[in-house]
Amino acid sequence: MINAFLVFNGQGQPRLTKFYTQLDTSIQQRLISEIFTLVSNRPAGSCNFLPLPPLLAASSTSHTSTEEQSDVPSLVTYRHYATLYFIIISTTTESPLALIDLIQVYVEALDKLFENVCELDLIFNFETLHATLSEMIIGGVVIETSLDRIVAGVRAQGTVAKRPVNEGRSTIGSGMGIGGNFAWTGRV
Amino acid sequence: MDLKATALLKLIYLEMVGHDMSWASFHVLEVMSSPKYHQKRVGYLGAVQSFRHDTEVLMLATNLLKKDLAATSPTVISLPIATLPHVITPSLALSTLADLLPRLNHSHANIRKKTLVTLYRLALVYPEALRAAWPKIKDRLMDPNEDPSVTAAIVNVVCELGSRRPKDFLPLAPRLFELLVDSGNNWMAIKLIKLFASLTPLEPRLVRKLLPPLTNIIRTTPAMSLLYECINGIIQGGILDSAEDVAGADEIATLCVNKLRGMIMINGDANLKYVALLAFNKIVLTHPHLVSQQEDVILECIDSSDITIRVQALNLVKGMVTSDNLVPVVSRLMKQLKSSLPSKDRRVPGSSANTPETESDDEAQTAITAPTVRDTQALLLPDDYRIDIIERILFMCSKDNYSSVLDFDWYIDVLTQLVRMSPVPRTFDADTGALLPTRQQVDVAEKVGDELRNVAVKVRAMRATAVRAADLILDQLLSENPVGHSLSSGALKSAIWIIGEYSIQLAMPDDSLNGLLQAIPRIGKPDILAVALHATAKVFSSIAGSELEPWTAERKSRISLLLARILDVLEPLALHPSLEVQERAVEFIELLKLTAEAVSGQPPSTDENHQEPPLLLTQAIPSLFTGWELNSVAVHAQKNVPLPEGLDLDEPIHGNLGRLLSQTDIVTLQSDEADDFEVYYHQRPPPSSISSSAPAITRLADPDDDTAGSYQQASEDSYLDADILARRKAERMEKNKDDPFYIPSDNILRTSTPIHNILQNNNGPALDIDSIPVMQLDLEKIGHTVAAPSRPRPQPRQRVVVATDETLEGSDSGTGRQYDSENSALPKARSKRSKQHSLLQVDSSTIGSFSLEGNPSEAFDYERQQREEAEMQQAMKEVERLRLEMQRANERIQMAQGADVQGVVIKKKTKKKAAAKKAAEGDENEGTKVKPKKKAKKAASQAVEGGGGGGGGGEDASAMQRVTIEDMNQDTTC
Repeated sequence: MINAFLVFNGQGQPRLTKFYTQLDTSIQQRLISEIFTLVSNRPAGSCNFLPLPPLLAASSTSHTSTEEQSDVPSLVTYRHYATLYFIIISTTTESPLALIDLIQVYVEALDKLFENVCELDLIFNFETLHATLSEMIIGGVVIETSLDRIVAGVRAQGTVAKRPVNEGRSTIGSGMGIGGNFAWTGRV
Repeated sequence: MDLKATALLKLIYLEMVGHDMSWASFHVLEVMSSPKYHQKRVGYLGAVQSFRHDTEVLMLATNLLKKDLAATSPTVISLPIATLPHVITPSLALSTLADLLPRLNHSHANIRKKTLVTLYRLALVYPEALRAAWPKIKDRLMDPNEDPSVTAAIVNVVCELGSRRPKDFLPLAPRLFELLVDSGNNWMAIKLIKLFASLTPLEPRLVRKLLPPLTNIIRTTPAMSLLYECINGIIQGGILDSAEDVAGADEIATLCVNKLRGMIMINGDANLKYVALLAFNKIVLTHPHLVSQQEDVILECIDSSDITIRVQALNLVKGMVTSDNLVPVVSRLMKQLKSSLPSKDRRVPGSSANTPETESDDEAQTAITAPTVRDTQALLLPDDYRIDIIERILFMCSKDNYSSVLDFDWYIDVLTQLVRMSPVPRTFDADTGALLPTRQQVDVAEKVGDELRNVAVKVRAMRATAVRAADLILDQLLSENPVGHSLSSGALKSAIWIIGEYSIQLAMPDDSLNGLLQAIPRIGKPDILAVALHATAKVFSSIAGSELEPWTAERKSRISLLLARILDVLEPLALHPSLEVQERAVEFIELLKLTAEAVSGQPPSTDENHQEPPLLLTQAIPSLFTGWELNSVAVHAQKNVPLPEGLDLDEPIHGNLGRLLSQTDIVTLQSDEADDFEVYYHQRPPPSSISSSAPAITRLADPDDDTAGSYQQASEDSYLDADILARRKAERMEKNKDDPFYIPSDNILRTSTPIHNILQNNNGPALDIDSIPVMQLDLEKIGHTVAAPSRPRPQPRQRVVVATDETLEGSDSGTGRQYDSENSALPKARSKRSKQHSLLQVDSSTIGSFSLEGNPSEAFDYERQQREEAEMQQAMKEVERLRLEMQRANERIQMAQGADVQGVVIKKKTKKKAAAKKAAEGDENEGTKVKPKKKAKKAASQAVEGGGGGGGGGEDASAMQRVTIEDMNQDTTC
């Protein structure tokens, strides 16, 4: 299952945090900063999987057998769009490649909802972020992967706010959009 | 209220940035209860983000949740449904379960799928919920007309559940299989394959059925993720092993491996590389030969710039290393370690590779002076990674009692190099500044040292080399660390031990002794100090104890000088806080004082008057340390030591121990102290020598056979003249010129020291930085030698014998794996730690508890369970009716018949019978209603059937339930 879904920007400021288990705020922040340190130091062209951050690594290390414990978060998947990092922490029951696609679906959904989504949208409409996420993942289990249904679900709640005024800003979103930069395209 | 909702929304945002908002939980509740949807939504969001287990308002929220669950608008319903998984507690689960269940039949597919996931989360904290919900979920799964996205969600949930208790889902296999073949939904297919992978071990017949579609998918699917999961499923489901026909299994295995190889090769997609390595890691356990065919691509990955890929590749390499590829693999790793060293200060973690060889020393120098505050943070990871690499190198080399190591010269050089490269153990956690618990600061250097010691003990032929290496390590540590700083390297312990134990083979014992004496005052750790004390005495005895050398005036003065120096160093230690150190120090001081007396008392021999050297020097002290050779002992050997007959550990040693002890306080020490020490030490050689209780002085006269024995072995080196030694060394150097890991000893010493002094002046206490120039020197050499790839592989298999561990008969797993004792201790500690930690970590606390309590381990068949319960209820109704009648009858008859039944027999069967009997009695008594009796009997027999078939806890539980109900009836009766 998915343990946490995080979004933060290039400075490590969180834009969306969703933990599917209850955690103290301070531990959440520590985890975020640990992951940020890891993620921000990735060289270009490296894979979308992170080594476990120290906070999590204490519970399961790469070479002790983690096969038995499918409960322990053991996979940190991230994806980088323009100024934002999207992170999923999950257990082994999730497929790593599918998670990458899941992030992609999420971003595409946001893109559809906001039309060229950018970081500012996320700040001003972070309620919508949560709504979108809860159309896709409930309690750590993926419930919907079809783009249209997700968007429809969020729209049904009727709360996609209009953009804040300053239209003059550049839309970073075009960079965030639909990245065809990965080899498998066999998503649904 | 609008204002409040907006404020709350902002507060939630602040919470995300890291501000605690638990104080506002009541306000959250207030907003949650707002009638307006958009306000309510904010409130629920606040609950999701901020409520914790201990939030007290949660109790107040229960009613609100129940109310909103029953709302008409689907958007409102989905709010509590989405919130529940975040705030769920067992009691909350209990009270909301009844409201959630009907939502599974909601007309909106969206609500249905959210509900079923929420039910799954409920079940994690409150397993009973699953029992109630499962039939409905199953119906949904079986329904071919169900919305596909709901089916997919169910599959996701079943996959989660299936990884924990696959047995319960075997009956679903046909439907799942159908879904896999027909659906065309890749997301779902991935999950299904994962689920099947956990089912196949339980039901081997599935394999045959699964293989065609899986192979088909592998061959045809355009989606990489699905392809990968297929391969993964085949591996994890054990299909590779269990396929009946070997040819088929081979075919599928080859297909998988080829696909995986393709994934690694495919135009540098790092993700595919990573997952392919993951899959290889799983295959390597069962099919190492298949993986080792892919050695080339895997080794490529070790040098990848991506640390995640590297770690995976490392894992893999560990499994597939053989004597053929050990040297290249280890050299690769060593190169990596080296190149990561100078870069660690200014580089970010994870990108330590690719350090251009051309980087000048200036750069390293500037990096050193850079502020270290930020660096401590950044250093964290590479240190861990380096430790990891070192541990793996050790593991690979020592595997199967060094069966892969062909050239021990090379190995010892590698170890020496590793000691230098091991990161300084952190005693302080960089983040918190708190002292780490001792277990965590496992010092790799210590492990490397242990390894060196193992080689020295086990490989006789290599002892001289090992001793030389140990000597080198000691020298280097001394020169590297500024005076006044304590020596902390863990390798010191083993190095010192080797120097002491095999002091006979020291090239220049005087220098070594000198080094030891310099080191002793600077050693911080008491355990190393204790070893060092012993080593000093051993080296001294080998220097001074020669019988053959004439007792000249020169020798006499030399030895008394030496003694004076040693005593000078040892004396402060007599007051050392550590008892072990103190004891050893006191013992040696007394012994050496005695020796000093003897030395000064013995006049030197002149030309006409031949004098023997004092016996104490030539016989007594050496005999302390020579005896049977120390061999490595298997881990479990101790267990196999048979218990001596009549050994009773509970029996007091002496009847009146207290009195004896108090006597010893009074008794004045009359005997010569030295004797005590001698006696103490003579007990150490095995009992085959002289009876240990004999006074030392009688032993002095005896020629010591053991001594001769162990001298003989070492003699080759000890009688070689200096020039021959030098020649041998030169030969060796010549031979090793091409070896990247050979460190020319004298060269290093000469060159490194001045630089070190400069560095010491420059940056004071930064200990690990001191090692850089040495690395730089080596780096050049490496770069040079590696650049010439045509290095002939000179090493024919050396004729070395690796001693196996000593063990006793019947040892189960001891032989050949002595190494376990050191290196497997770590994973054990880790796993223990993991148990501790997992509670703190992100997840698993809830699920962990699920796997304990949620697995009542009996395979519940939910369906039958339900059926039984329904029957049971029916029967209960009957029984109750009968009971009421009986009550009436009882009242009428006024008999104490009820008391019998009240003597509660828990066994359902008897109870039932009793009930039936009573019913019959009641029937007789009343003489009416034949029909109910029959029904009751039928119910009873049904229940019995159910009990026979179902068995297990559910049955018991319902039996208990019934008993309580009956008891209640009884109560009402009485």
